[in-house]
Amino acid sequence: MTLSRRSFVKISGAAAAVLPFLGTKAFAQGEKLKVGFIYVGTINDNGYNYAHNQGRLYLEEQLGDAVETTYVENVPEGPDCERVLRELAQQGNKLIFATSFGFGDSVIKVAQQFPEVKFEHATGYMKADNVGLYNARFYEGRAVCGTIAGHLSQTGKAGYIGSFPIPEVVMGINSFVLAARKVNPDFTIKPVYISTWNDPAKEADAARAMIDQGIDVIAQHTDGPAALQVAQERGIVGGFGQGADMSAFAPETQLTSIIDHWGPHYAASAQAVIDGTWTAGDTWEGLKDDVVQIGPYGPKVTDEVKAAAEAVRTGQIDGSFMIFTGPIKDNTGAERVPAGVSMTDAELLSMDWYVEGVEQPA
Amino acid sequence: MDIYIAIIVTLVGAASPILIAALGELVVEKAGVLNLGVEGMMLVGAIAGFAGQYYTGNPYFALLCGAFAGAATSLIFGFLTLSLSANQTATGLALTIFGTGFSALAGAPFSARPIELMRPLFPLELATHPILRVIFGYAAPVYFSFIMVFAVWYFLKKTRAGLILRAVGENDLSAHSIGYSVIGVRYAAVLFGGAMAGIAGACFPLLLTPQWAERMTAGRGWIAVALVVFASWRPFRLLAGAYLFGLVMTMELYAKAGGGPLSVIPSELWAALPYLATIVVLVLISIRRDASSNAPACLGRPFLPSN
Amino acid sequence: MLFRLEKRQEPSRFMLYATPVASVLLTMVVGAIIFSLIGYDGIGAVREIFFTPLTNAYKWQDLGVKAAPLVIIGVGLSIAYRANVWNIGAEGQYIMGGLAGTWVALATYGMTGPWILPLMILAGVVGGALYAAIPALLKTRLNVNEILTSLMLTYASVQLIYYLIRAPWKDPMGMGFPQTRLFSEAARLPTVIPGTIVHLGVPIAVLVALAAWFIMSRSVFGYQMKVVGAAPHAARYGGFSENKTIWLALLVSGALAGLAGVLEVAGPFQRMVPGFPTNYGFTAIIVAFLGRLNPLGVLFAGIVMAITFVGGEVAQTTIGLPNAATGIFQAMVLFFLLAGDILVRYRIRRVVANPAAGAA
Repeated sequence: MTLSRRSFVKISGAAAAVLPFLGTKAFAQGEKLKVGFIYVGTINDNGYNYAHNQGRLYLEEQLGDAVETTYVENVPEGPDCERVLRELAQQGNKLIFATSFGFGDSVIKVAQQFPEVKFEHATGYMKADNVGLYNARFYEGRAVCGTIAGHLSQTGKAGYIGSFPIPEVVMGINSFVLAARKVNPDFTIKPVYISTWNDPAKEADAARAMIDQGIDVIAQHTDGPAALQVAQERGIVGGFGQGADMSAFAPETQLTSIIDHWGPHYAASAQAVIDGTWTAGDTWEGLKDDVVQIGPYGPKVTDEVKAAAEAVRTGQIDGSFMIFTGPIKDNTGAERVPAGVSMTDAELLSMDWYVEGVEQPA
Repeated sequence: MDIYIAIIVTLVGAASPILIAALGELVVEKAGVLNLGVEGMMLVGAIAGFAGQYYTGNPYFALLCGAFAGAATSLIFGFLTLSLSANQTATGLALTIFGTGFSALAGAPFSARPIELMRPLFPLELATHPILRVIFGYAAPVYFSFIMVFAVWYFLKKTRAGLILRAVGENDLSAHSIGYSVIGVRYAAVLFGGAMAGIAGACFPLLLTPQWAERMTAGRGWIAVALVVFASWRPFRLLAGAYLFGLVMTMELYAKAGGGPLSVIPSELWAALPYLATIVVLVLISIRRDASSNAPACLGRPFLPSN
Repeated sequence: MLFRLEKRQEPSRFMLYATPVASVLLTMVVGAIIFSLIGYDGIGAVREIFFTPLTNAYKWQDLGVKAAPLVIIGVGLSIAYRANVWNIGAEGQYIMGGLAGTWVALATYGMTGPWILPLMILAGVVGGALYAAIPALLKTRLNVNEILTSLMLTYASVQLIYYLIRAPWKDPMGMGFPQTRLFSEAARLPTVIPGTIVHLGVPIAVLVALAAWFIMSRSVFGYQMKVVGAAPHAARYGGFSENKTIWLALLVSGALAGLAGVLEVAGPFQRMVPGFPTNYGFTAIIVAFLGRLNPLGVLFAGIVMAITFVGGEVAQTTIGLPNAATGIFQAMVLFFLLAGDILVRYRIRRVVANPAAGAA
């Protein structure tokens, strides 16, 4: 990071008195810990932001009177986010969760102005003394979904709706297809990027376009149940919930769901701040830590398939199974990961190539 | 063959709401009023339609809810621009801001609640027939949109009321001097436009994706506004325009999903294509010089009889 | 009771200035009532949205930073609208300004020198103006409606950002995320008040408003724009070319939107990101009207609008008012203002038992 400090005066306690504009409320002992959350979308999206808000509610439930939480939704990424973060810090929130990648620059800037406030940034990569990072190994969940898809798909073709080709999405696609190909070596997947996070009608039409061209399992990395509903409507083999259990939208067709369970992480961080033990961490937790959960299996998942899926799930929990372990070829046929070698976290987090079985999207 | 039928079926679904909203706006503009609030009215119609279906399970009632809500929203626009002769551009934009906010607020309790999709109008044997579904495979609003293309054309060209409406749009002062109520006609047109936008909005949860999501019309109201000019205020051209637009949107997804030569076009270009295509067509129409001749002369101008 | 509208001899100056104030006040009253009725803390909402940003000195810097792009774009739009040229694609011109500035910043990456920032700003202004030149060309040559072309171009420009930051401009160190690298020091806008976030764009916005006010009220150019807008036929007799006015209106509003874009990317953003388009271009349309298409009015309107944005967030954090409420408050301000417009041109007279004596 080469972020300049010229424009952002670093504030020490003494300087804060000189510069009233950046002053903050004093932190009195015995007060409730105030925890702030900012979401990039609405808490009613049935997906990503909904899940973060569920995590906030879990935190309230777990720590009860010890905490007081606040959230701001629909926060645009950019200067607006910076303002909201300062607003939250100024109102006495001592721990602030910024739940979208695009908030990163703002978190770093505001964290310099409020050294006594702890920040945690989801899915980002820029750390500071008071900025921790947290993320969830969604790809572990994708591996479970891919296993089910490999078993149940009759055409051996799945579709995957993404918003933008960012590493997080690429990683999910790769994990899904790697797992499916362990079951069915001919399994292929077609990613379709729709260049928007929030256009459910376009998502639904993308799902229709893929189903019409022979896929019978669908997964998506967009917020909301639109694709799953189309799967239900068309009666294909199935789809997967993303972020939250979406079985209400597709009772027969949801094979399972990847549930973002941020609550335990939020509770642990808040407790650490209360105890004075918080440090700027860099956590990337998954199934083992219960931050990623696999939802209930749908009615179409047979006992045999369920057992295979559970084996992948438990294997990732006890560490005996890692989906990104070589040999892995990319979709041009070149070997990227030698046999027996597992990809590092850094490699995963910057993944910009597709594994064998993924049809190259434009 | 099958794939072409599939593409058509999806295309019809994508084009119908835009066509319905645009037909409403066409009548509004023919009366000399420019309502840029279509997107906002559609969103209010979408949440009303969702709520109607959620509570009653009767999609026709839900469509009525959408129509009513859209018309009610358009009344705000009508009152400000017609009774108080406020600036139409600004009022339309404000209406969109209002509709976006109102629908989000009203829709908050309905998140995570699914509804039933509206069923096809024709018997299932026809509606799911591999070939015939291209004709019989749709729910009522799709057929409604086709009927309305004809109805709007007939109304404007062949009826006395349509003649009056056009007169009001072409020359409000002389229409007024012959004794027609310019404001009354324009109110009726604005309400019709609102109801059509509301129905179009209700199509999103009823036909396309049976859920409520904030801003779920995702800019299609603006496309409807653009299509009216694109079609140079002619209903049958509007039909062609809506389907051309729908085709570009649908082909993007089918090309990406299916591979083939078109799939190498970057996503971003696909996404920009409908808008660029609109500009190109606007230019082509203008070169032929029949767009300006067909534009209502009073479009966007407040009616001020005492001037 | 019957009322009749009677046209004033000339627009009421009192009403011209009183109605914006009245519409904000009315919004507060009606908003408080409506939100109380639907179960929120209505009075709290009004207090947090409209007053907290003003009473809390800490919030002033936010108001300045938020208002600056709205004012710069709004001033340009008010000039265009005065001339009856309906540029509603300022968002696209803002984006092109930002992209042009980004291009310079990336091309000069790692270099130092005081010439970089002015060059970026110049590029931004030119970028915005060129993008507005497309509707101008189509309007003057082919009579294509500028409302639609400028709007369509906005959607296209958003996709251009996505493309550029995904492929050619992607930050090589950005872990694959679609965004450009952070601009180097020389390509960033300096702050003007130490210890705050107030950047150079804020005083520029004030200067733009003052300069535009001076030009519009004191120069031939301003007179020409106003005359063409108010009475195109009269203007033609006066020797003013309508086409020339359309060109000027679009180029000026596009250039200012581009200026806002480059200031925004070089100031608060310091890199191009997918979240760069934040609807400033559309909100500025409202600002232009709220400011009565007068540059000084726009300055105040921009601040009022900034208050509602900043206050809307305050209300979310303090009383849990949903984000959607902010939009409703903004729409209400505008509705009341537009409704009040009629009082500028007409006076209301009570009709005394004289059944409809023809049209007013």
